[in-house]
Amino acid sequence: MRLLFINASPRGKKSNTGILMQHFIRGFLETPDNTCEVEYLVKYKNNLNALTEKFSAWDNVIIGFPLYVDAMPGSVKAFMEALAPLKGRKDLPALGFMIQCGFPETAHLRFVAKYCEKFSRRIGCRFLGCILKGGCEGLDVQPTFLTEKYFSLFGMLGLDFGKTGKIDEDILTKLARPEHLSAENMAMVVPFINQALWDAQMEKNGVLNLSFDRPLMP
Amino acid sequence: MKILILNGNPHGDTGSIDPYVDHLVEKIKSAGHDVTIITLRDHKISPCIGCFHCWIKTPGICSINDDARDITRQFIAADHVILASPLMMGFPSHLLKNAMDRNICIVHPHLEEVDGEVHHKKRYDRYPVISLLLEKEADTDEEDIDILKDIFRRQAVNMWSSVGFVHFTESPFEEIIHAITVH
Repeated sequence: MRLLFINASPRGKKSNTGILMQHFIRGFLETPDNTCEVEYLVKYKNNLNALTEKFSAWDNVIIGFPLYVDAMPGSVKAFMEALAPLKGRKDLPALGFMIQCGFPETAHLRFVAKYCEKFSRRIGCRFLGCILKGGCEGLDVQPTFLTEKYFSLFGMLGLDFGKTGKIDEDILTKLARPEHLSAENMAMVVPFINQALWDAQMEKNGVLNLSFDRPLMP
Repeated sequence: MKILILNGNPHGDTGSIDPYVDHLVEKIKSAGHDVTIITLRDHKISPCIGCFHCWIKTPGICSINDDARDITRQFIAADHVILASPLMMGFPSHLLKNAMDRNICIVHPHLEEVDGEVHHKKRYDRYPVISLLLEKEADTDEEDIDILKDIFRRQAVNMWSSVGFVHFTESPFEEIIHAITVH
């Protein structure tokens, strides 16, 4: 099987999307003769047509991106607009998406996932599915006990996709936990994220006292 | 009332958004409101790069110093923001999305519970109502509109706002003026 993975994160190579992608690809390449190429959307920001041409030359394409303001980042939307001329062509790849967000619950990703499914239908690509994962901000600094389970699920998902050409629903369901947080979980997780992820970085930068500044106040 | 229209039409010479917005501006003025229109294609708005400097290095200010900074300032100062765009592959243009992405500096990185879900804390006391004015594509259907409404309802929740109206360039101007007035 041949797969083009487009890492469409605005952060390019240093992205949480990229970390998840690597685990998926590791699994995908375990099947002999599978090949995968990775392209970074940021590299093509001034030449989207070059990436559009590549897109149509593959059997399978997965586009990975982070949730920005409840949808795809503007730069990803620009790429989706650049794909519009391919609409209805017979040689289009099967298309899937890998979407992650910093919010701990997967519920935030369901709406853009519906859009992505509709986008696939509109352009005329067979839809592979959307791989969704919340809680992904700062993956490189999250403790291993938090990440190892779902990194291995991303590997399993890639392995299974590499064998069957399908994105396994059961693994997606496991990855999607928690869809929502229980009240107890929320009481534990929210102060932890606020302190360990955000206040710690503000403190390091010497701006914790300016945390709630309103510089654009009318 | 202070109304801000962000026109995200990438092509000024085609489609119905520009003439509709021009006409709407006159109607809004006649109704006694203060209205500003920003045509995004005439401004430099780089895409958000996810650096989070606006949260952790210079709280409330984006690290990219281009026209988006002033647009965000006008956004937060408005009572009602109308996001105007043709639908392109079932969603408003990337110009409009880039402008919205650059607005994350108006909320705080901290999370808190809002109706059983985690959302960002407020940075400012008040936020504008956001509305959508869209031009349909030839194949726009009810499913597209439902998807959009869901996404923008959620954007509004994340920005401590609410969705005022969703209208199309075939809507009578009076309906929009009415919707602005009741919000």
